[in-house]
Amino acid sequence: MTTTMDRRSLLTRAALGATGLVAAGAMGSLAPETAFAAATQYPEPGQPDPNFAEGLIISRNQDLLQVQGSDGRLHRIQLTGVTSVWKLRPTTLDQVRVGDGLYARGVLMPDGVLAAESVWVNIVNLTVSINSIGRSALQLEHHGQKVVGYVQPGLTAAVYNGTPAVSDLSMLKVGRHAQVIGAWRPGTNEIDIATIYASN
Amino acid sequence: MFAHQMAAAQPLLIGLLLLWSSYGKVAGRDSAEQARRTALPRLVGETSAVPAYRAVGAIEAVIALALLLPPAWTVEAVAAVALATGFTGYLIYAKIVVPEASCGCIGASARPVGRRAIGRALLLLATAVAATTAGNGWWSASSVAVAAVLVLEAALFVMLSAELDRYWLLPLRRLRVGIAHPLAGTATDGVPLAATQRRLLLSPAYRAVNGLLRSDIHDYWDDEDWRFVSYTARYDGRPATAVFAVPHHDTTPESVRVAVVDETSGQTLYRPTVLATAG
Repeated sequence: MTTTMDRRSLLTRAALGATGLVAAGAMGSLAPETAFAAATQYPEPGQPDPNFAEGLIISRNQDLLQVQGSDGRLHRIQLTGVTSVWKLRPTTLDQVRVGDGLYARGVLMPDGVLAAESVWVNIVNLTVSINSIGRSALQLEHHGQKVVGYVQPGLTAAVYNGTPAVSDLSMLKVGRHAQVIGAWRPGTNEIDIATIYASN
Repeated sequence: MFAHQMAAAQPLLIGLLLLWSSYGKVAGRDSAEQARRTALPRLVGETSAVPAYRAVGAIEAVIALALLLPPAWTVEAVAAVALATGFTGYLIYAKIVVPEASCGCIGASARPVGRRAIGRALLLLATAVAATTAGNGWWSASSVAVAAVLVLEAALFVMLSAELDRYWLLPLRRLRVGIAHPLAGTATDGVPLAATQRRLLLSPAYRAVNGLLRSDIHDYWDDEDWRFVSYTARYDGRPATAVFAVPHHDTTPESVRVAVVDETSGQTLYRPTVLATAG
């Protein structure tokens, strides 16, 4: 935790320009071309993207995951300190558990292990209609399938008519269509809602 | 006496229900599509599903008209019992063998077979069995009490019909939510991360370092009037962290700042000049 706080403190000062640790030539231009100079990897046309994997986590040994892909392929995915982990929110490596589904993006190493730069755990993107609204959950329907969408206080946000996200969910209406980004609770028809996009 | 009248009145309800049900199957614009969503392709084969679906609709219409029009024969009610038994058996089969299949019962719906659909088929079966004991036609049963029970039965059918929820259940729920919204207390002063991320994505700072970013959001935290969001990045082949500072109170895109920090030394490797001198 101390390390996290130190790190955040350092980054806070760097972002606000309050740090003395500035490398020579750090003041760059605002032009996007500067950024595009960075190396970018592209997959071969028509081939599976080597830098991407998805599937169900079937085992975890320290930070090495065995993942069974939905196409039957087996992936080995290495999590590291720089891997970003999304599980309903940006979170830490220990939240990645056996039984979770994931999408991972990273760099395929020569030994076949995907060194993950980002993983999204149990993430789901559904178009739904809102069947009913309760204090802790929304009853949703996705192409005839019932889905329970739990509201996480302080976390679940709503975007109305494309305006910036707010925490106020009181403008959601029964019978309306919506799009939901959330995290599955594995093995159930339940999700925790991160963001719900609706009209009002 | 009342029981006899009730039994005699059942064919009216069953007849109207079957007519409505058959209309969607025989005359519905998307009946072929609807047939393919049911368990019929599994039961009778892909090619026979649509003709079978329409044939069921035609049988329903024939039985419905026989029940509704004089004379009143017991055999009509027996046919309705046979049909209702078939429906119940089919729905239980569909729920077990093809759980994702839609009911195909009344109107177009992609909703899979549920307990309500089976309950409705059982109710139809019960009314059809009651109708077999009738001695007269439904037109001879004219009492307010019989009419009231028929209305209740019809209401029960409606409540068991998921296809009709939008006409009564959703408006009722809308009314309840309109009176007291269950999520009325969710508004807080906190800024959702999704809002910060949107501002960040639209900022010149993000455009300046977009090509350096290698991950999704790695960490985020609030400090006084700012929210900080960090991403894993690479700069000149070196592992780095890009950290954005998004002010809570200034919503202009230019107010977002960014720095790219070396992962090991902690040195700032890159900070767009305009941003560094702003504010």
